[in-house]
Amino acid sequence: MRRLLPFVLIGAALLAWELVVRSGLWSPLLFPPLEKILNELILFFSKSESLMEAWVSLYRALGGFALAAVAGVAIGMLMGRSAFAAALLDPLFSGTYAVPKIALFPIFIFVFGIGSLSKVALVFLECIYPIVIVTCQGARGVNRILLWSARNMGESRLRTFGRVVIPATAPYIFAGFRVALPVALIVVIITEMISSADGLGYMVIYALSSLKTDRMLAVVAVIALLGLALDRALVLLRDRLVYWEKLETYYV
Amino acid sequence: MRILRFAVLLLVVLAWQLLWLRGLPEYVLGPVEILQHFGAALGEREFYDHVGASLMRSLPGFAIGTLLGIALGLAAGVARSFDQMLSPVVFLTYPVPKIVMLPLFMLWFGIGDFSKILIIALACFYPTFINAYYGAKATPAILVWSGLNMGAGRWRIFLRVVVPNALPQIFAGIRVSMALSFIVMFATEMINARSGLGHMIRVAENSLRFDLMYVSLLSIAILGYASDQLLRLGRERVLAWQEQGA
Repeated sequence: MRRLLPFVLIGAALLAWELVVRSGLWSPLLFPPLEKILNELILFFSKSESLMEAWVSLYRALGGFALAAVAGVAIGMLMGRSAFAAALLDPLFSGTYAVPKIALFPIFIFVFGIGSLSKVALVFLECIYPIVIVTCQGARGVNRILLWSARNMGESRLRTFGRVVIPATAPYIFAGFRVALPVALIVVIITEMISSADGLGYMVIYALSSLKTDRMLAVVAVIALLGLALDRALVLLRDRLVYWEKLETYYV
Repeated sequence: MRILRFAVLLLVVLAWQLLWLRGLPEYVLGPVEILQHFGAALGEREFYDHVGASLMRSLPGFAIGTLLGIALGLAAGVARSFDQMLSPVVFLTYPVPKIVMLPLFMLWFGIGDFSKILIIALACFYPTFINAYYGAKATPAILVWSGLNMGAGRWRIFLRVVVPNALPQIFAGIRVSMALSFIVMFATEMINARSGLGHMIRVAENSLRFDLMYVSLLSIAILGYASDQLLRLGRERVLAWQEQGA
């Protein structure tokens, strides 16, 4: 019953939508009927062009995210395990943390061009912050007794790092990833809405400006599903790789 | 340590200025030049109008979103029936990019400020809800039992035990929301607006006014940084009893 509850609420929301449509108080342009949205959704998945648009968005989001994951984990580890690196890099990260990086987008367009590169660069920049901060926090908090024991048993520095520090930090790394992955999708959609000729964000704006509300809502649904699917996939991966820790990864 | 912090930032700015002196593309301005343009903009009325318009969107959105998030998050953290009804939906929709609702809101509520404030509030709701929820859930049972044992009522326990216990976590959530409110504000203004810093940067971009682009960029950076510092100060006052962590 408890597992069904969210679906009950979603069902209620859909029902309310249908009632609003049937009431005829608002124009179908504002609240298109559900079957029309569903129709557009089926159309979306049956056409290869629209699937290509989804792929373009996905590839930008995942590309920027992957780069940020590699660089962010490396920098976070370095900052967490070396006081000197932390002193050197921390002002850069904590000083610019609260600055909206999205404001750099117009400049990125001039530097990297209007295509995918400027978007991937912005995704990278937005995603690297949570990953660095959370990884650093995890690497700094590795239980000292474990480190001493490993060293005492004659492990080299490299082996200690691989066998103690990395597994101890892994839950944090995934917590950072879980914050960063939705951010990647958000940034891609925003940048595509602002300036682009392809991708899901562009499709939304295009459908809106041609007053195809049903199509717009179908694309919005696709984006929402994509966000859910990416998050689920990451959680599944985490549960396989970091099976020994049950750290809540929603916040940090 | 403090000197080193300062030195690093100074070095970056200095290297940038030197690079600029050696010649960079025209769309990359040097730090000194940016400051000059910023100083010039400070003397103009139009600049303040844009800043005011932006703040009039981000602050109400931030306030509505965080207050709702904290209230509902705490409620879901202490009341089981509420928890079962609300939390699954919040956690399910958490990874959905909230900005996709903007076109929908524009359609329903017009392209004015209301739809922008609403989307900022929506974005700010999630981090505060989740943090307040986990903060309230993590209240040690011993404290609640002791309170009950000493004859405190439910409300008193909520206000005196649960809320203080969740406060550090709530502040962490507010910090994320604050950053988000500026991001979403800027994004919505870039997508469609007739005023505000995001609008200013779009106009500057289209008319190749690189100076205005950097003025807008620097203003939003200062706003973001200053509000974060203000929040930190507030946190230090409210949480004076707590040991300072990160």
